[in-house]
Amino acid sequence: MWLPIHINEQSAEPLYYQIEVQLRALIVSGQLAEGTLLPSIRELAQLLKCSVITVRRVYQDLENEGLLRTRQGTGTFVAKVDRTERDRQRLQAVIAAFEAAIEAGLRVQCSEEELRAVFEEALRLKMGSRDGPDRRRDENDRHLPGEKT
Amino acid sequence: MMEEKVAISMAGVEQNRPHFKLGPLDLEVPAGYVTALVGPNGSGKSSTFRLLLDLAKPEKGTVTVLGKRVGGGDDVELKRRIGYLPENTNSFEDSLKAEDKAAFVRQWYPDWDVNYYRELLRLFEIDSSLKLGKMSKGMRRKFELALALAHRPELLLLDEPSSGLDPIAWKKMIGVLHRHMERGDRTILIATHIVEEVRRLADYIVFMDYGRVLGMYEKDELLSSWSVLFVQGEGRPEWLLRTVPGAIRTEEAGGSVRIVTSRAQQAERWCESEGYRIVARK
Repeated sequence: MWLPIHINEQSAEPLYYQIEVQLRALIVSGQLAEGTLLPSIRELAQLLKCSVITVRRVYQDLENEGLLRTRQGTGTFVAKVDRTERDRQRLQAVIAAFEAAIEAGLRVQCSEEELRAVFEEALRLKMGSRDGPDRRRDENDRHLPGEKT
Repeated sequence: MMEEKVAISMAGVEQNRPHFKLGPLDLEVPAGYVTALVGPNGSGKSSTFRLLLDLAKPEKGTVTVLGKRVGGGDDVELKRRIGYLPENTNSFEDSLKAEDKAAFVRQWYPDWDVNYYRELLRLFEIDSSLKLGKMSKGMRRKFELALALAHRPELLLLDEPSSGLDPIAWKKMIGVLHRHMERGDRTILIATHIVEEVRRLADYIVFMDYGRVLGMYEKDELLSSWSVLFVQGEGRPEWLLRTVPGAIRTEEAGGSVRIVTSRAQQAERWCESEGYRIVARK
């Protein structure tokens, strides 16, 4: 089975952490349904070109969080995640992503207004492209933050 | 941490030859993992394999393989649990047909799986009616690999398995070795100096040079702890070399300083807290 997990080799974040964050997101978002059989430790290590030590650590962490369960001899499955837990986990990942985005902004000396403008613009673009043709029309007259209207 | 089993253990092993001294070697290879033995030519990798198989005797020290002391006489039982792909082929086998060699080898292994062997021949596109001397280097290599795997050994010793393989055969080999490891209780020790092979296969890396083990590392930890940073800020390269965590080398690089560090995360955190701007990382 293929999993949409992307590894950024340039990132300073440890490999196991990168994998764990993405796999957790796949589970709490429901993209991996309850009962899905995950690749074996060796298989996932092969797919991601990392060691089985790293994958085992990820599986163990997520098992401790109750997101996975391992049945001896059959493999590792996605566990039942209850609604409130799923919501909590869901938002946790979003909060972390926003924090990372803000850090990225601060690194290039963005002001608070600039950050806000970037966020509003990104949100507008995403929601616009997601909705029907009505919204898409006003994408044509969109403007970049800082541009004179 | 769970308790790790050991597949191979070498303690205080020394071997003296007129032109080469091996050891003292101390090495523990964990069971259930792929361990890559990395080092330049002549660093003692092949000699280590020979000691593990009792093809050479050490002057000092003890070698234990799969829980059995090596060199203690009758080792037929032990050898049945091992698969070995030597670095070089025997030229006296050149006039032997591949299928005849296979028929000979399988007698020694009660666990020989003929279906698996056939599957490997098909996968690697080997014509086993050929004489070994008539095979291309790559085909002979693939054939020898199939022989080493056919009894599904607990311990697989591979001495530069990919020499002579084309990229397609190489990929197939990587896949076969991963499948071999799927059960989780088998062990591979592989001598190689191909970086991509280490990346794709290894769980642990052992560095060897001048007949000594320089160190053993968990692959992902090793690969992620080294990095190259380009930073901008005050301070000469010489000063940064002494100050940045894990810095191994620093040099001027077009307005910024290039830093090689063995402790990537600490180095990045240091740069942030000291007000250095990281402009690029590799």
